[in-house]
Amino acid sequence: MFEEIDPRSPTPLYEQIAARIRVAVATSELNPGEPLPSVRRLASRIRINPATVVQAYRDLEKEGFVEMRHGAGTFVREVGADHRTKVRANQAMRLVGALVSDAARLGISVDEIGAAFEKVAGATR
Amino acid sequence: MSNAIEVRNLHYRAGKTFELRDLNLTVPSGSIFGFLGPNGSGKTTTMQLCLGMRPATTGRITILGHDVPQDAPNALARTGYVPERPHLYPNLTVAESVRFHSAFYATWDERWAQELLDRFDLERSTVVSRLSKGEMGKLMMLLALAQQPELLMLDEPTDGLDPVARRDVVSAVLDYVSKSGASVFISSHLVHELERICDWVGILDKGSLVAELPMQSFKDGIKRLRVSGAPPEQQDTPFTILSRRAPETMAVGETWIVRDWNPEMAHYFETIGATLQDVVDLDLEEGFVELLTTSRAGGRQPI
Repeated sequence: MFEEIDPRSPTPLYEQIAARIRVAVATSELNPGEPLPSVRRLASRIRINPATVVQAYRDLEKEGFVEMRHGAGTFVREVGADHRTKVRANQAMRLVGALVSDAARLGISVDEIGAAFEKVAGATR
Repeated sequence: MSNAIEVRNLHYRAGKTFELRDLNLTVPSGSIFGFLGPNGSGKTTTMQLCLGMRPATTGRITILGHDVPQDAPNALARTGYVPERPHLYPNLTVAESVRFHSAFYATWDERWAQELLDRFDLERSTVVSRLSKGEMGKLMMLLALAQQPELLMLDEPTDGLDPVARRDVVSAVLDYVSKSGASVFISSHLVHELERICDWVGILDKGSLVAELPMQSFKDGIKRLRVSGAPPEQQDTPFTILSRRAPETMAVGETWIVRDWNPEMAHYFETIGATLQDVVDLDLEEGFVELLTTSRAGGRQPI
């Protein structure tokens, strides 16, 4: 699930992890009541600082995505449909945002990107 | 006690060419501190000084609250060290090396040592001189971890290991840090590995510290800017200019490498009649290289 975590990215690792879990909750890849891996397990599995995992989990708890039960672990909470839609829309915006700024750097116009998008999306629809 | 390592005004000289000058270093408790620097910059020497293996000319070193070298035995009892070059007896077997090492540490966890032997896939009857480089790296890490230290001093513990051995070693360290809250001081040339695990970074060049700050501040603060229409000489910038390069062929605008940047500084360019065309993020490796290039050209103050 965390394959695309990129330590070289300017986005802090805790934010990348939190974002990935938010999307997983929004797309029902993670279901309410399901446990997240323990801090210790996740840190050693994907080889990042345990403090980074703790910070990601704390942020998710503040936003209501997960619940940290003392001694038991961290569990996914029930998230409303509107909240899920919002996370999905944010994620879509982020993907397109990255695409558009990459294109601008290469001197490719938004119209050209739009045309290519229609072509590729049409082929997979 | 809030710092695992404190080095104050340390001075050390070896021979005519090498010296550490007025070194100050702070490793906060519970942090994973990445110590970067080119070959010969003094990283190994700094570690050895911290462990009381060499005497400093002047300055003060405190490890886990103990003054070094005066109180080195108490500091070493709580510190796990993986040296750049392994220092095991070549004729002992793996099992014998573990037993030998365990005798020095009151806090030794034999059960965990045995567990790590299995996890690292180390054959107990193999003679140390016959271990592969990866097996040696894993054994050294096992010996440092099984003493249950409060501080790990790791001098290039994974450099030269294959990716599988490297993963095993780093995972074991992070597993230990999660359960114990131990601090880690690690040097490595594998910058991307440090970028993953460290929350603090220190950069040493020619015996001087050129940067010491939280990893995220380092990455947030150092940027590559594309600027057009700027006057040739610029004083009083809100950020520090590390370098300015003329436009490359086909490109518009100069390249500026800056540190201590924040996004609100973008409007500064209007005040000097210039245009900021782009702000590009640098990863740790690029930032490291840019910083060293400038520190060598100009010799700047550490931050």
